[in-house]
Amino acid sequence: MTEMVLETDGLTKYYGNKLALDHLDLKIPQGCICGFVGRNGAGKTTAIKLMLGLLKPTAGSSRLLGCDSQELTAESRQRIGYVTEGHRLFNWMTINELEQFQRAFFPGQWDDQLFADMIEYFSLPKNKKIKHFSNGQRAQVSLALTLAPNPELLVMDDPTLGLDAAIRRQFLEGMIELIMRRNRTVFFSSHILGDVERVADIIVVIDQGILRANCSLERFRAAVKKVIFSFKDSAPPKVDIDGLLNCKRSKGELELTLVGIDDEKIAEWAQSAGAEKYRIVKMNLEDQFIEFTASSGRRRLFKWERT
Amino acid sequence: MALWVQISPGSGDPIYVQIVEQIGEAIAMGELAAGDKLPSVRKLAAKLVINPNTVVRAYRVLEQAGLVNTKTGSGTFIGGPKLRSGDEADINILAERMDTLLAQGLNLGLEARDLIAMFKGRIGRFVNKKTSGKKK
Repeated sequence: MTEMVLETDGLTKYYGNKLALDHLDLKIPQGCICGFVGRNGAGKTTAIKLMLGLLKPTAGSSRLLGCDSQELTAESRQRIGYVTEGHRLFNWMTINELEQFQRAFFPGQWDDQLFADMIEYFSLPKNKKIKHFSNGQRAQVSLALTLAPNPELLVMDDPTLGLDAAIRRQFLEGMIELIMRRNRTVFFSSHILGDVERVADIIVVIDQGILRANCSLERFRAAVKKVIFSFKDSAPPKVDIDGLLNCKRSKGELELTLVGIDDEKIAEWAQSAGAEKYRIVKMNLEDQFIEFTASSGRRRLFKWERT
Repeated sequence: MALWVQISPGSGDPIYVQIVEQIGEAIAMGELAAGDKLPSVRKLAAKLVINPNTVVRAYRVLEQAGLVNTKTGSGTFIGGPKLRSGDEADINILAERMDTLLAQGLNLGLEARDLIAMFKGRIGRFVNKKTSGKKK
C-alpha cells in the first residue's frame, strides 16, 4: 500500500450560512505532484487552509502525513512546506535575517547550500530589506525558504499568481527538483492549466465547493472529449448519454462534450441516433477544464479511481 | 546527445505523446541510430520541466512500439529495426492518418500522380539520410 500523505474525510466548511466546501474526500499518495484546480471562489484556499489547520472545519476532518490537521505538532509542521498566496514575508528583514529566523524552526534539516545557491541563481540582494523587493523577488525568496528545509510535503496555494513566465517556470523547476528526491509530495493550486499539465501527475478539480474529479492527469485528458455529430435529414435526437457535460445544437449538427465515455460507446450512440458521421475533436487541458466546470450537471460527482 | 525535444503544454496532444512523436521522428530521420542512448528520465524531466512520470510514460510507449529498449541500471537505448513490431492496429491508424493527408492534397487540387511523386520525394529524405548517417 502506498502511504497517503494527505487525506480529507467529509471535510466541510460554512462561512455563516454560505457553504464553501462540501464534504471533500481526498486521498493523495506519497510521491506525486497534485494540481488542485477550480475557478475563483471554488473553495481551493479554504480547503488548503483547513488541511493545514489554519481554519476549523464545520464538519469532517483532514490529515497531513498521518497527523490530524487540527492537531499538527511542531514536529509534523517541520516536515511540511507551505506557500501562501501573495508570499507574505517579514518586510523589515533582509534575506540573511529571514534565513536565520526560518532555519531555527528546522533544526538539522536546513540545506544551507541549496538556499545560498537559489538566492545566487535568482541574483537577489542579500542585504536589502524585503520591503524593497518586487513581487517576483518576494516569490523567489519564499520559494528558497520553502525548499531549503527539504519538506516531505509541499503545499502551495496559487504560488505563481501574478508572476511572470520566467519566475513561474522557476517554481515548476523547484517542484520537479523536489519530487525527484525520495518520497516527496507536492500539492499545489493554480489557474495556469499549462503549468498543471507540465508538472502534475494527479489533477483534483473542485467547483462550488464540490469535488468534481480526482484522477491521474492522463486519465482526465483522455476522459473529457468533444464530439461533433452530423445529421443529414433527421433532426438531432434528444441526448440521453450518462457522461454528458454540455450539448450544443445547430442545424444538422450536435456538439457534445462528454466525460468518461469510450470511443466505442460514441460509435454505438452515433449509429443508434442516426448520425451520418461524427468527429472526435482534440481538446487541450484548458478547454477541458472550462467545459468540465461549466457543465449543467454540476451536482453530479465524477470521481474516478486513480489508475 | 543531440536530442532536441520541444514540448508545448496547452496543445491537444498530451505531453508524453509529443515526446513519443518527436523521438519517433528523430529515429525515422536517422538522427538517432540503433544503440544511441536516450537521456535519463531525470535529466529529460529536469530539462523539459515536466513530471518525471511523463517521461517514464513516453519511454514505455516507445518501448512497446519496439523503438527503444531499456536495460535496467544502464538506461534506455534506441533499438534496431528488427525489434519493431508493425502491429496491425498501428498500421490501421497510420492508414487513417494517410487518408487525412491524401484528402488535403486532393482538396488542394493535386492529382494522384502528383501526390505519389511528392510521397516518393519526402520518403527519400528519411531513407537517404538514414543510410548516409550510418556511413559516418
